[in-house]
Amino acid sequence: MKPSEIGLRRALEVHSHTLRNGLKVLLVDNSSVPTVSLTSSVLAGARYDLESKAGLAIMASRLLDEGTESRTSLEIADAIESVGGAIETDGSFERIIATAGVLNKDVDLGLELLADLVMRPIFPQDYVDKEKERTLAEIASALDRPQVVAGWAFNELVYQNHPLHRPSHGYPQTVERLTREDLLDFHRRYFVPNNVILSIVGDFRVPELLPKIENAFGDWEARPVEFPEYSEPVRQTGKRVKFITMPAQQLNIYVGHLGVRRTNPDYYALQVLDTILGGGAGFTARIPRRLRDELGLAYTTFASMTMTAGLDPGRFIAFIGTSPENMNLAIDGLLNEIRRIIEEPVSAEELQDAKDYLTGSFVFAFESSPQIARFLVHAEVYGLGFDYIDKYPQYVRAVTVDDISRVARKYLDSENYTLVVVGPVAEDGNLINGTD
Amino acid sequence: MSSLMIPSAFATEDVRRTVLPNGLVVLTKEVHTSPIVTNMIWYRVGSRNEELGQTGKSHFLEHMLFKGTDRFKKGEIDLLTLKNGGGNNAFTSHDFTAYYFNFASDRWEIALEIEADRMVNCSFEPEEFEAEKKVVIEELKTGLDSPWGLLLQEEEATAFKVHPYRNPIVGWLQDVERATVEEQQAYYRRYYHPNNAILVIAGDFDTDEVLRKVDRAFGSIPSGPDAPPMLLKEPPQRGERRLIVRWRSKVPRLSISYHVPRVAEPDSYPLQVLAVILAEGKSSRLYQRMVEHEQAVTFVSAEFGEAKDPTLFHIRAEARGDHSIDEIEASIHDELAAVCRDGVNAHELNRAKHQIEAHFILSRERTLDQAILLGQIETLHGLTYIDSYLQRINAVSAADIADVAVRYLNENNRTVGQLLNDGSDAREEEDDSEAE
Repeated sequence: MKPSEIGLRRALEVHSHTLRNGLKVLLVDNSSVPTVSLTSSVLAGARYDLESKAGLAIMASRLLDEGTESRTSLEIADAIESVGGAIETDGSFERIIATAGVLNKDVDLGLELLADLVMRPIFPQDYVDKEKERTLAEIASALDRPQVVAGWAFNELVYQNHPLHRPSHGYPQTVERLTREDLLDFHRRYFVPNNVILSIVGDFRVPELLPKIENAFGDWEARPVEFPEYSEPVRQTGKRVKFITMPAQQLNIYVGHLGVRRTNPDYYALQVLDTILGGGAGFTARIPRRLRDELGLAYTTFASMTMTAGLDPGRFIAFIGTSPENMNLAIDGLLNEIRRIIEEPVSAEELQDAKDYLTGSFVFAFESSPQIARFLVHAEVYGLGFDYIDKYPQYVRAVTVDDISRVARKYLDSENYTLVVVGPVAEDGNLINGTD
Repeated sequence: MSSLMIPSAFATEDVRRTVLPNGLVVLTKEVHTSPIVTNMIWYRVGSRNEELGQTGKSHFLEHMLFKGTDRFKKGEIDLLTLKNGGGNNAFTSHDFTAYYFNFASDRWEIALEIEADRMVNCSFEPEEFEAEKKVVIEELKTGLDSPWGLLLQEEEATAFKVHPYRNPIVGWLQDVERATVEEQQAYYRRYYHPNNAILVIAGDFDTDEVLRKVDRAFGSIPSGPDAPPMLLKEPPQRGERRLIVRWRSKVPRLSISYHVPRVAEPDSYPLQVLAVILAEGKSSRLYQRMVEHEQAVTFVSAEFGEAKDPTLFHIRAEARGDHSIDEIEASIHDELAAVCRDGVNAHELNRAKHQIEAHFILSRERTLDQAILLGQIETLHGLTYIDSYLQRINAVSAADIADVAVRYLNENNRTVGQLLNDGSDAREEEDDSEAE
């Protein structure tokens, strides 16, 4: 075993407990810095939003710290900020997350506030109204960014009727219709201790902290949760192409299709493939090396299958931002590299380099308490196991040249893909001249 | 009112500062919590050193340093990073250019070899230079497609008439387009010397052993002539300056900037505390007023950035709904007038100090973060700044804050930039073309 792996294992002794009400508690004592990072993760997110109520989960997450049964929004902010701490609440398709970062002396306060936020939020009507307005304004602002517009359009085409087709914060017309009652329903339905993971990493003693956790969360009553069901996303069988006109310096181009789940047994082979095709260190991968370093087409270009893998299948994405006159060269360049890795075996050296990179850089994902807290949730949700630190290098080292060819043929497609281009281009794909 | 608990000197504890005979400053800090070493090199050159018509030289040079030397051929620096499971990147600012490698502690020393070699032996192959020029231009265009990037660029060009902080770090497009490899190489020879550089190594190593290795790698590089002094001084501003940037967005954006002193000047401390009181966290003044009560903006920020020369204090906000940019601007001026007139209260002053203290500690977990702090402060001012930093922040009084608000954040010293719609449609969406 290499020294880096030994050091990593020492840093990651996980204490796992389940309270009587089903709340899962994961603790790592990391006393290298006098701080504590607390994260509560509710295992429900935008993937469960009804189409007509798209945006509900994210709005609920953003209102958690805007008032509880006993504290106003300002009282929460003032309490945490007065000790120099910070609380953040946010959501994704899979989870609602509330985090508190505090100095070690303030861990009790962090715990108390976090418990209050997730157990007793009241979603005050005036804050619901404000948050709706703010979300609408943020959507308008995000539409200024060609890469965001391209990403949203890409998801619509790739996922079709699956919940991931939409932006997680919903559409203006669905956000406008959300009500306080919807938010309270959402909270009643999913915010129960048996659906929550509490991960705490930092400078504390486990035996001292556990009773405090019990004290803060122990009275919360367990209740069975019913999760909505929806159909599997379907891989496309033809090309889907969309050009969106926007005056801009560059074209933002996405090529790709449906990807894989995080729990897919081929995930690690695909990570190696990603490193060879579009990720890795600097501009070593095929796409950045060819399209950026050799052809000078872009500052930003990459490709990845595993980056978006989650409980639902993610996306395979190849991206490039380039000047309009390079459009065809750029699209062909991306497709050529996808085709090449499907049709030709990678070299033994490329494979070895990618594996060395993944196993060697693994340690950088565990440097800070927030990173470790995030890992604990992933380990729990995706069933990685807390011995993942030991297993990960083995998974990666087992990948062969044939594995790469097999997973490339199985999961990549250079014919049946979605292409979205946003920028000074007409709907028919012809460039528009004379834009700024 | 409680006082700050932790002296900031902890950040420089165990930091050893060594100066080689050739003038290279070496800062080492042993951190044994993770088996990682961060190796950074900082050059005291940035866009502030660039002459008229030569803008973008520092940033372009940063790109060229990855293109290889005689010893490390094109692509080899990234390839070695990949094979060793590391990470690398670089960044350029107005004041400096910095490069870093992160590696596991059993293989990091290759970073020393690379940095020593490319300090003097960077290849300037004309073909590589022209290819990289395209990449730099794509980067520059990405910035122009960002509303904040564009507004800030125009605002700095208005606020500064003489000092080179008026120029974008990436350079003006025309300067980059006509840059030549000869000029670029001359610029490299002028600024890349051991006596114009700071090497920072933080992580899991033994200092004495490492210093011997540093001497072996860098000791034989001759020192160069002193870099030309920067003689340009911005004359005092004598009245408000206003600018409008027309752009495709329908979301108005506002940026107000005030001339303020350089890092470590006595007035810089109360200005930092004031920035936090104004806009850091939900309990801050501008957040409470503009986001909570007036609901006129999606966000508001205030920032004093540490800089080598007299710099700008920025306040930025993004309009929401039907609120006009004039209304938003009036609120900011009004809130600043209140600070000038009535000062700040003890509670918000104390809260801001704790926020600064906690941020200082919470944001230093990774070795890279520590190396950045040390390198940046040594480049801008000297490590003594860190030693007394939190004590100086703690000594700020309410009267100090009112005093700097009156002297700096006033009408005659400000530049007001507005980004407003240019009358074009922000976005035209067309129907999908499906070929399934």
